[in-house]
Amino acid sequence: MNLVEKILARKSGQRSVAPGDVVTTDIDLMVMHDLSANFVMKVFNNEMEEPGIADPSKIVFAFDHNFAPATRDAAEALAAVRKFAAKHKIQHLFDSGCGSIHHAIMEAGLVTPGMIVIGCDSHTPIYGALGAFATGVGNNSMAALGFARSKGWFKVPETIKIHFHGTPMKAVQPRDISQFLVGKLGEDGAIYKALEYAGPYIESLDVSDRALFPLQAIDVGGKCGFVNADEKTAQYVRQLQPSKSYELLQNDSDCRYSEVVDIDVSRIEPQVACPPTVGNVKPIDAAVGTPIDVAEAGGSTGGRLSDIRALAACFVNRRVHPGVRLQVVPASRGIYLAALREGLFETLHIAGANIFPPSAGSNQAFNMGALAEEEVMISTQARNFPGRNGHPKARHFLASPLTVAASALTGKITDPRTLETL
Amino acid sequence: MSQPGRPMGQTIAEKILAAKAGVTQVTPGQIVDAYPDLVMSHTATWRSVSVMKKIGAKRLYDPSRLAIVLDHISPAKTEKYAADQQTSRNFAREYGIEKFYDVDAGIAHLVLMEHGHVKPGDLIVGTDSHCTIYGALGALGSGIGYTEVASVWVTGKLWMKVPTTIKLTLEGRFVAGVSAKDLMLHLIGTLGADGCGYKSVEFYGGALPDMSVSERMTMANLAMEMGSKCVFIPPDEKTREWLLPRLSDPADYKPVIADENAVYEQSIEVNLAELTPMVACPHQVENTKPVTEVLGTRIDQAFLGSCANGKYEDLAVAAAILKGRKIDPRVRLIVTPGSKEILLEAMRSGILATLVESGALVTNPGCGACAGDGGTMADGEVSLSTANRNFVGRMGSNKSSIYLSSPATLAASALQGVIADPREFF
Amino acid sequence: MQDTIQGRIYKFGDNVNSDIIIAGRYLIYIDPVQLAEHAFEMLGEGFPARLRSFDILVAGRNFGCGSAREQASTAIKGLGIKAVVAASFARTFYRNAINDGLPIVECPALYDAVTEGDVIQIDLAKGVISHAGNSHAFPKMPDSVGKILKLGGLANYLKSTLTTS
Repeated sequence: MNLVEKILARKSGQRSVAPGDVVTTDIDLMVMHDLSANFVMKVFNNEMEEPGIADPSKIVFAFDHNFAPATRDAAEALAAVRKFAAKHKIQHLFDSGCGSIHHAIMEAGLVTPGMIVIGCDSHTPIYGALGAFATGVGNNSMAALGFARSKGWFKVPETIKIHFHGTPMKAVQPRDISQFLVGKLGEDGAIYKALEYAGPYIESLDVSDRALFPLQAIDVGGKCGFVNADEKTAQYVRQLQPSKSYELLQNDSDCRYSEVVDIDVSRIEPQVACPPTVGNVKPIDAAVGTPIDVAEAGGSTGGRLSDIRALAACFVNRRVHPGVRLQVVPASRGIYLAALREGLFETLHIAGANIFPPSAGSNQAFNMGALAEEEVMISTQARNFPGRNGHPKARHFLASPLTVAASALTGKITDPRTLETL
Repeated sequence: MSQPGRPMGQTIAEKILAAKAGVTQVTPGQIVDAYPDLVMSHTATWRSVSVMKKIGAKRLYDPSRLAIVLDHISPAKTEKYAADQQTSRNFAREYGIEKFYDVDAGIAHLVLMEHGHVKPGDLIVGTDSHCTIYGALGALGSGIGYTEVASVWVTGKLWMKVPTTIKLTLEGRFVAGVSAKDLMLHLIGTLGADGCGYKSVEFYGGALPDMSVSERMTMANLAMEMGSKCVFIPPDEKTREWLLPRLSDPADYKPVIADENAVYEQSIEVNLAELTPMVACPHQVENTKPVTEVLGTRIDQAFLGSCANGKYEDLAVAAAILKGRKIDPRVRLIVTPGSKEILLEAMRSGILATLVESGALVTNPGCGACAGDGGTMADGEVSLSTANRNFVGRMGSNKSSIYLSSPATLAASALQGVIADPREFF
Repeated sequence: MQDTIQGRIYKFGDNVNSDIIIAGRYLIYIDPVQLAEHAFEMLGEGFPARLRSFDILVAGRNFGCGSAREQASTAIKGLGIKAVVAASFARTFYRNAINDGLPIVECPALYDAVTEGDVIQIDLAKGVISHAGNSHAFPKMPDSVGKILKLGGLANYLKSTLTTS
C-alpha cells in the first residue's frame, strides 16, 4: 500500500485497503476557516438533532479571510462562530490575524504524519506534505459526520505518481513546477485521485516547498496529494512538536499506481496561470509585457518566510514601479515577526511595498484585493476566476513569488530569469 | 467697531481670511471670497470628479493647489471602491496632480503634513471635517463637501464667513498617564458638541511650549468635535523644528500669529494638572466621563489609530504599556499606523514588534476602523477606540458601542479586557 | 426654488449627527434616491420609511454635526424632505445643504412650539415661519449665499456662471 492507503487502512481498523474500497475512519483533525466555519455551524445548528460535538479537541477554526471584518455581515459571522466555539468548548480558535489557515495550523504543530485531516477548504490537501491524508469535504459532511461523530467515510482513491527529476533553471521556483503540472494534467486530469509527488526533485525540497504541490491537487480535480514521509518530514514536525509521538507511515516499496507521470523539471520555464482559470497555465512568455496595477505576494503560496526573503532580496536599494501597488501578506504570525526582525519589512516598505496582517490576503477580496474593470493583478494566490477579485473583467494572473517581484519592479509581467538585468 | 485711524487687532483666523480674500482686514460675521492654498480630497475625490463632469468644467484653477490622498478605504474591498479609486487615479494623472497619494500612503491629514504641504498661514479646505488638524501647524483648515471641493478646483475660491475666536489658555502639566486626548475629551464634554460652533479656537498658555507637535495634532483634530470651524496652536520653535525640514523652500515658513490686541469672544482657562483620563461614552463624543466611572466595562475590540491618535508618539505610548505583556485573549487589538512614515519609524524603533508580540493585529496605514474600513463590530459588541467619533453604527452594528479614549487608556484596557485606568502603568 | 414651503413636520432632538443621517458605508452613493433608502437607518425600526410621510424636519441644536459628508443633505432631499428647520446647524451640514439645494432655516423658537405632525409654512422671502396662528421670524440668508440655494445648489450655480463666462 502507499501512504494514503496505509492511513485509510489504519484509521478504519483494517489490515489493508485497495482503490475503490469505501471505508469509514476516525478523523484526527477538522479544519475550517472563517467562511466555512460559519456555514458548517449553521448546518450543525439547523439540521442536526444531536446537540453535542463528539470531540471538540479535533476541531480547528482559523479566521483568515477577514483579518479585520469589513462588513457587518462578516462581523456577525465571526461573532457567531466565536460563540459557537465557546459553547462547544472548541479550543483551537485562531482569531483574525493568525495568518492563512493552513500555515497557521501547520505553525501551531497540529498536524503530524499519519493523520486524517478533513477541511471545508479545497486546499486542505496541503497537509499531505506532512505525510497526512488530507482532503476537502463539504459543509454537510463536516457537520454530520465530522462534528457529530469524529468520523468520515472515503472511497480509497487510485494514485497517480508524479516523478519529478532534474534541476530547475535559475529563477524557476517550486510554484512554477507545481503550476506546470496543473497545466499539463488539466483541470480534470486527476479527478478523485490521489497524487503522489515524488522523485529526486521533490526529495530535495524542504517541507515548506513540498507543500506547494498538494496545495494544488484540487486544481486538477484531485482528492488529495502527498509526499512520502521521510526524515525531512520528521524533522519539520520535531521542531514544532518535539515530544509528540506518532507513527511515521511511508509507502511500501511495492505500492501500485494507476499512472506514473515523468517530469523533467530542468525544462520548465516560469509559468503563469492566466485568466480566467487556474488550469490556463502557460509559459511566462505568453503573458510577458502585460501592464499590472497590483502585485501580491501572500497567502499559502507567497507569504512564507522564504518567499518574503526572496522578495526583499529583489528590492534592496530598488523601488516598486510607480504604477504598481505591491502587497505583502505574511502567511502566519510567526512569519510576520520573523520577517520584521530580519529587516525584510523595512526593505520592502522603503521600496514602496505595503505590508498586511497575516491572513489570506486578497483571496476572495474580503478585506482587500478588489479590482476595477480595467485593473490587472499578478499574485501568488490560488485562484483567478472572474469576479473573485472585484470586477468580472479585471484580470488576475497567478505566478511564483519571483515572477511577482520582477513584475512589481517593471510594472509589467516580467520573466524572473531577467531579474539580474533589471 | 474700530476706532477711527486705529486698526483693530486681528486674530489668526481674521488675518488668514483677510490675506486669502485679498483685503487688509476683516470682521467677524463678514463673508469673504477666499482663495485656499490647498484643497484636499480623499476617498471622496471621485464624487468631486463627477461634479466637474456634471457641470461641464474642464479646466482647474490651479492643479498645484490640489491634494488627493486615498485613505478611507485602503485598499479596495469591493468592485465599487476599486472603480471609484480608479476614477481618482485617472483624474490625478489626467490633470498632472503631483500631490497624489495612493491607498498605501496613510491618512490624508498626516500624509499632507508629513510631506510639507501644510504651512503656517495657509488656508486649507477639504472633503473631511478633521481638516481642523492643520491648525497644529498654524494653518486654517476647514471641512467642506465634495461639490464645494469641485467648485474650489474650478474657481479657486469659496465664500467663508469670518468666525469669532475663543481664546483657550492651558496652564500646568499633565499628571502621568493623562494626555492631550484627555484634555480634548474634557473640553468637548464641558463645552458640548457645538460649544465652539462656527468659531475659531486659539490655544495659548504656559503648558503649550512643552506639548509636542503630535499632541498638538491631537488637539487640533479633536477640536472639530466641539464644532470648531478652525483651530490654531500658534507656531513656535517646536513647529518650526518639525516642519522646516519638510518644506521644499524654508522661506515658505511664515507663521501668522494674532495681534496683541486681537479681540476674542470668550476666554477659557484649563489647568492640565486637574485633568484625569477621560472616555467618551456611546454614542456621542460629548458624552464624556472620567475613566474611573466606567472601569470594568468589558470590551471586545480595541482600535489604536486614526488622525486623532495614529501617530508615532501614540503608538509608542501604547507600546510602552504593552511591552513584555499580552493583551487579554478576548480582546481584538487592531493597530493602524497613520502613515508610511509612522510605520517605518515603528519598525525601526522596535515598537511594531512590541505591539505584534503583545497580540496586536497591525494593518496597513490608513483610516482603518475609525471610518468603518475593517474592524466592523457585530451586535452587542463594544469597541474602545482612539479615534475621534463614536456615533452609533460607525464601526458596524447599530447595536454595537464605541468608547473613545487616549492611547494609554486603550493599551491598559486591551491588557485587562475591560476599560482600565492607564495611570496604574505610570 | 419656491419661496414658500409648507408641510407636516417630523421632530428630532439635539445633535443629530452625520452618521445617523447616512452611514459611512453608503457614501459609495451620491444619488439621492439610493441614499434615501438608507437615511437614518441607524435609528432602527421603521426608518427611513416613516420619514417619507413628512415634509419638513424640525430639529434642536447642532443638526448634522460630525462628518463633512455631503450625502447627509442629499439623503434627506432624497426622502422628499423639502426643508430642515433647526435651532442650530453644524456648519458643514449648513454649507452642504445650501450646495445641495436643500433649504435650511435657523429658528430656535420653533422647536418648543411644534409637535410631530404639525403643519408649518416657511416663507423664505419674508423670513417667517407660520404655525398654529403664530409667526416665528428667522434670519434670512445673506444674498451671496442665498443665491446658490435659489438656483438649486452649487452645481447649478457653477454651471450658470461657467456658461456666462
